[in-house]
Amino acid sequence: MSYLVDIFLIAITAALINNFVLYYFVGICPFIGVSRQVDMAVGMGAAVTFVMAIAVFLSWAITYFVLMPGALVTTWVGQFFVSPERAAHIDLTILTYIVYIFAIASSVQLVEMYVRKFYPPLYKSFGVFLPLITTNCAILFACLTVMSHIIGVENPGQIWDLGRALTLGVFGGLGFTIAIVIMAGIREELDMCDIPEPLKGAAITLIIGGILAMAFMGFTGVDNGIRVALGG
Amino acid sequence: MNDQPTATERFIQGILPENPTYRQLLGLCPTLAVTNGLKQALTMAGAVTVVLFCANIIVSLIRNLLKPHLRIVVFTLTIATFVTMVDRFLAAYMYQMSKALGPYIPLIIVNCIIICRCEVCASKQGLIASGADAIGQGIGFGLGLSSIAVVRELLGTGALAGVAVLPAAWPQWVIMVLPPGAFLTFGLLLGLINWIQQRRSVEG
Amino acid sequence: MESSSSPSAGGFKNSNLAQAWLVLLLALCFGSALAAVQVQLSDTIAANKLNETLAQVPALIWGKAPPPQNVQITPGTLNVKKDGQASSYTLYRVAQDNKTAGWVVKADGQGYGDKLELLIGTDADVKKITGLFVLEQKETPGLGNRISEPQWRNQFVGKSTAKPLEVVKDKSQGPATIDAITGATISSRSVTNIVNATIGNLRGRLDASGGQFTERSQP
Repeated sequence: MSYLVDIFLIAITAALINNFVLYYFVGICPFIGVSRQVDMAVGMGAAVTFVMAIAVFLSWAITYFVLMPGALVTTWVGQFFVSPERAAHIDLTILTYIVYIFAIASSVQLVEMYVRKFYPPLYKSFGVFLPLITTNCAILFACLTVMSHIIGVENPGQIWDLGRALTLGVFGGLGFTIAIVIMAGIREELDMCDIPEPLKGAAITLIIGGILAMAFMGFTGVDNGIRVALGG
Repeated sequence: MNDQPTATERFIQGILPENPTYRQLLGLCPTLAVTNGLKQALTMAGAVTVVLFCANIIVSLIRNLLKPHLRIVVFTLTIATFVTMVDRFLAAYMYQMSKALGPYIPLIIVNCIIICRCEVCASKQGLIASGADAIGQGIGFGLGLSSIAVVRELLGTGALAGVAVLPAAWPQWVIMVLPPGAFLTFGLLLGLINWIQQRRSVEG
Repeated sequence: MESSSSPSAGGFKNSNLAQAWLVLLLALCFGSALAAVQVQLSDTIAANKLNETLAQVPALIWGKAPPPQNVQITPGTLNVKKDGQASSYTLYRVAQDNKTAGWVVKADGQGYGDKLELLIGTDADVKKITGLFVLEQKETPGLGNRISEPQWRNQFVGKSTAKPLEVVKDKSQGPATIDAITGATISSRSVTNIVNATIGNLRGRLDASGGQFTERSQP
């Protein structure tokens, strides 16, 4: 019961309360660039969510089994080179960022191949976004958040398992999608408005983003209330 | 063959005409995230400049060995390595600042500015031009971040780099140091820069 | 000056094999550089993290008075099993001349914005709170983040642990109440709840002779 409450809270927090775009400022480039039309925004959001889920899965697995001090695979392989005692202390966390960025690039490649093979019309409509997702801060940010709940956690009982990690990935992507779709809806209306020349383009998008961020601030503290209500 | 900008030109272009924040609109994630304080903004700008400089130098050194289909891999590997080094260095010698900047230091890896400069400049020009380009863009980035940070910190806390500047009677606009303040400040400053630019091109 | 993009033409230099060798060589060089950085800096970083906590310990036990000589700080853990849930507290036994002077425990919980990490100091028998320090918080600037201010935190010093502390909105009404920060009731309550929960778990399990405290061989 408490596990489900935890998952629920992680999901709500990632999607709404600590929205990736409007609170953590990751994924701003597509937020400003791709949010002109609702259907493009939905496509981008779906692609990002999909890639994020795979990337988070890969990074959790690699961090838990290879990178963190005392990881199973590293300890087992290390036994052939150094004493088992020392093998249990091998710390590969210095390689984390490099490994993550390549895991993300691989996820994007995987998704691109999959979509191109099995959903050609889908690939035509949003396939062009896929290579851009590799440099999307949001994906790396999701992986880093998962990392912070595995490495450097003092209490081993609080290390995130795969379920929590995937929840963060999927719902973080959904939060990104929500933000970008709302912005696209607003910008479609803006086409009919008379915007001052200097503000056209990125500037007005940012200002609207600010108002959206203000609106989303209303969600702060909701998780506290839910936690108290559910007694978790 | 010499239609490439010279080192000096690269340097000067990076500061204002091709300013990464206001003209190229690159690297927006740290621009919004770490500008709630001048110290954080300057540290981030410094970190990005260091990574950009090192990456540009390395890429420039091996530019003749790079072929199209693997160059992004090489750029990414180089950038990720230097970001890891900078991250560890900050954690060792500027621990509080490292905690304040949090996940935004590793996010330098996907900062569009660095990959863009490697692609546009370092993979095509020699060491001096690449180095100058890196420093110019770094200064431009620093200017962009500082301009936003000054507004946000001053209006939001009445202090600048932690030193109280405005009188204590100033009602702090707390919203400025929160996410909406970041968006609004950057949007309005961008509008201002665009307006100045348009006035200039009309007169000139 | 630019060679062809086809991998088979142009000989060995353009081939995929040569390219792969370049990437591998770079990976090796960078890997070694990173390993060197790790060896050089990891101790400093670990020390930074530890010192952040250790630097606060004397103030948490002895308050504004200068700490005495011969202070020993021993890190360790306390495992608590309640309602079928096991949790582990990181804490430090603070001793003077090898006699327990107090305990400093690291506690975390949910604040209004994000997680809160606190350091709570108690006397040797966990009868009184001797100090409170906020290690990490992401509360609202100007409102919730004032829980880090010394004036507010000092309210906890000297409070007895016999009853859970209660947050009230006006001036303190009794020995077991904490004055909330105006406009930041939830942040104030979050801190107090964490303190109450932690003290509740520590009472009866820790005392001057050690109790259920398990020392850690490596901090």
